[in-house]
Amino acid sequence: MKLSKIFKNGIINDNPIFVQLIGMCSTLAVTTNVTNSLAMGLAVIAVLVGSNFVISLLRHVIPDKIRIPAFVVVIATFVTIIEMFMKAYAQPIYQALGIFLPLIVVNCIILARAEAFAFKNGIIPSIADGLAVGFGYTIALVILGSIREIFGAGTFLGKTLFGANFQPAGIFVAPAGAFIVLGLLIGVFNFVRNKKASSEV
Amino acid sequence: MKETIKLGLILFIITAVSAGVLAISNNLTKDKIAEIAMAGSIEALKEVFGEENDFKALDEGRLDEIKKVNESTEEIFEVYSGESLSGYAIKISSKGFGKTNLITLTGFSLDGNIIGMRLVEHSETEGIGSKATLPDFTDRFQGKNASEEITVDTISGATITSKGVMSGVNEARKVFNEQLSN
Repeated sequence: MKLSKIFKNGIINDNPIFVQLIGMCSTLAVTTNVTNSLAMGLAVIAVLVGSNFVISLLRHVIPDKIRIPAFVVVIATFVTIIEMFMKAYAQPIYQALGIFLPLIVVNCIILARAEAFAFKNGIIPSIADGLAVGFGYTIALVILGSIREIFGAGTFLGKTLFGANFQPAGIFVAPAGAFIVLGLLIGVFNFVRNKKASSEV
Repeated sequence: MKETIKLGLILFIITAVSAGVLAISNNLTKDKIAEIAMAGSIEALKEVFGEENDFKALDEGRLDEIKKVNESTEEIFEVYSGESLSGYAIKISSKGFGKTNLITLTGFSLDGNIIGMRLVEHSETEGIGSKATLPDFTDRFQGKNASEEITVDTISGATITSKGVMSGVNEARKVFNEQLSN
């Protein structure tokens, strides 16, 4: 598979949030502001690339029957390593993510890519897929986080945008708001995607 | 049977390698992590006791003994003015309003007077419970003595947070009283 196709897939056609609708729990919880969204996205990219790489490396060695436990061990190891290094060298991000950092272990996206791609493809394509899907995830999170932060708190990356008279709509930073905005974004994304697809035919 | 053994062995090798990698990562990062945790505490300790004092973590054996009796104890520091022991700082975990526990650091002089208190970790509501970190609230504990139950005025609108902090300070007071007898 061409690398450019892999990238396009990860970001657009197979976007984990807007198209595949997986890994939603962390998406809704973490996107209350842009900083947290970026932090989570970076952590997920790191885990995806690492786990895709190792699983692809071992794909001829791991027997099919025990592939799921093997995947989980690999993924958990990467998440734990990243957690340790973040705690030591990136405290602010570590604090911002809180419990959602260890929860990456059970994030469907990582397991899905291991099963659907890394277990069946070479090392370079797998790394590319990890990067691409990770990017797709990060972009989705940052868009969602931006909308929620700008309208729900009147700030962007923590910096106040509007004057003192701006009344933020609290619903945006509440869980209900997360669902609503995400639903609308999914609708818009797929509408544009389908239009482009049909115009290309 | 033979296949089961083979599968078990492969899984064992994968987890063994994983454990090895994790052990290495842990070794690489644990000192830095302990440093950061200590630095965070030292900052709060200096605020409470003053720059000129030295702080030493209590001997681990003694700390473990105390933790068995007072489970909410997180850390204990000895405060030294020059060479002589001048007080103790006790970090307690107590229940607040937020999802994670409140971590309070209470500083006692040797005669049981509270030199100061800080709320070092919390997940209280911004603008409401978070007011418990401000001097307006933490100063209320200064001068109280460990000999009696400590109560202060609660923050209006943040009763649960205030009570959580109070219970943290009182737990520290219990530990201090038990400490003195040791």
